[in-house]
Amino acid sequence: MSLKPSLEAGKFVVTTEVGPLKGTDTTELEEVAELLLGRVDATNVTDQQSSVMRLGSLATCHLLKQRGLDPVFQMTCRDRNRLALQSDLLSAYVLGIENVLAITGDLPSLGDHPQAKPVYDLDSVQLLWVIGRLNEGYDMVGNELKGKPNFFPGAVVNPGADTETAFELQLIKMEKKIAQGAKFFQTQAIYDVETFAKFMKRVEGFGVPVLAGIIPLKSVGMARFMNKNVAGVFVPDELINKMAEAEDKAKTGIEIAANLIKELKDISQGVHIMAIGSEKRVPQILDAAGL
Amino acid sequence: MIGQTQKPIEEILEFLDGKEKVVLVGCGGCATVFHTGGETEVKEMADTLSQHGKNILAAIAVPFGEFTCYAPWSKERLKPYRKQIEECDAILMMSCGDGFQVVRQLVLEDEFGLVKPMYPATDAIGHMGGGPTLFREKCMQCGECVLGQYAGICPMTQCAKGLLNGPCGGSKNGKCEQEPEHDCAWILIYERLKKLGEMGKIKEFVPAKDYSKMKRPRQIEVAPL
Repeated sequence: MSLKPSLEAGKFVVTTEVGPLKGTDTTELEEVAELLLGRVDATNVTDQQSSVMRLGSLATCHLLKQRGLDPVFQMTCRDRNRLALQSDLLSAYVLGIENVLAITGDLPSLGDHPQAKPVYDLDSVQLLWVIGRLNEGYDMVGNELKGKPNFFPGAVVNPGADTETAFELQLIKMEKKIAQGAKFFQTQAIYDVETFAKFMKRVEGFGVPVLAGIIPLKSVGMARFMNKNVAGVFVPDELINKMAEAEDKAKTGIEIAANLIKELKDISQGVHIMAIGSEKRVPQILDAAGL
Repeated sequence: MIGQTQKPIEEILEFLDGKEKVVLVGCGGCATVFHTGGETEVKEMADTLSQHGKNILAAIAVPFGEFTCYAPWSKERLKPYRKQIEECDAILMMSCGDGFQVVRQLVLEDEFGLVKPMYPATDAIGHMGGGPTLFREKCMQCGECVLGQYAGICPMTQCAKGLLNGPCGGSKNGKCEQEPEHDCAWILIYERLKKLGEMGKIKEFVPAKDYSKMKRPRQIEVAPL
């Protein structure tokens, strides 16, 4: 199972995500990889998400590839300048990684090294342009490469942008990303299918597949935390109440996720499941959703 | 203007530990506006340091409008105090790093031939504009002004990530995710471009910035006034 062929075949694609831990112990990563094999089209590896220092996406993608999964190399612009970004892209390709998700990256002030110097030498749109140039066989200043990669680039979009202007800006940026080569999009977590459907109506003419983000709920506290702190994520009261009343929180969270997936099947090209530490539940979610 | 705050007195006393004879130099530029090195602050610092046992050989207050980073003015201002500067154990400079390094190098070293211990009383916190009370960072001297492209709003300083193809996905209620009191610059840019009828500008792809224009330290030679 892999991303590009699945998308091209028009299959309802399932991707998921792993966030590497802080340290060199890859036991859990390997256990998750075993469980995901054969169940998902691709597995994203986050790039020091939330600006917390962790094991790198590059090494982790390579580990997942070795275990038969199709990795998506998430690459933020927060920590590396254009030299390092181009170099890491070449390194990724040499290690068998083809899917890249070009993102801006959270500010260092939000993470556990707030004293770090933010880089942002490139932004996500410029990074997509760079990936395109490397694919053509040139670095970003026009030097010819000896051996060129063939990346399948993707990007993110936030359909839950919370003001009209913010929403319009997301659409403008999405078009820019497509113009610079983005071939697929993964979104921030969706809990309101109606809002998402409106978004999908606006972008159907763009001709690029969109995978709807799913974050399975684990507790009321988690839902409230996301509502307060995570931009573009809105868990409606109806679902918070369901979690509050649930005896088995994990089971209810899985059910809610599976229901969302079923509703999203007709309006998106796939789903991107972000289990945030509970990756071992992903097969259960897929079972419950009939995938 | 260079926004600045005064260093904590403990830090200043640490610099001056063992240095009994001190010369204070203020600044009539930004330091006066930000109350770090104006005439009032120089007087106050002289009193404070005297109370801590320092012998203030000279407390050089500079009138508002005279910025110490302009060497011809600093030279004239400090010439009458040459003796005290020669005699002192340390100079406490109550200005930003521009004034400090101009006084140290162009006045004390080049003009007076002196190499003396010199310490800052100030932390510079950004190139700012505004007033009379609220100031905010405006310009980061990138060397390639793009204000014409963004409806007069600089994304390098007003966007926390300095994005040229913004926004990121992090705005909440029109505010930046890093600083909930700050408006997302891209929302401001969008709304202003809309008012100006220039939405095309936000739809254009902006290539990577040329940071070679910010290679440090930069310099320029101009005709004197």
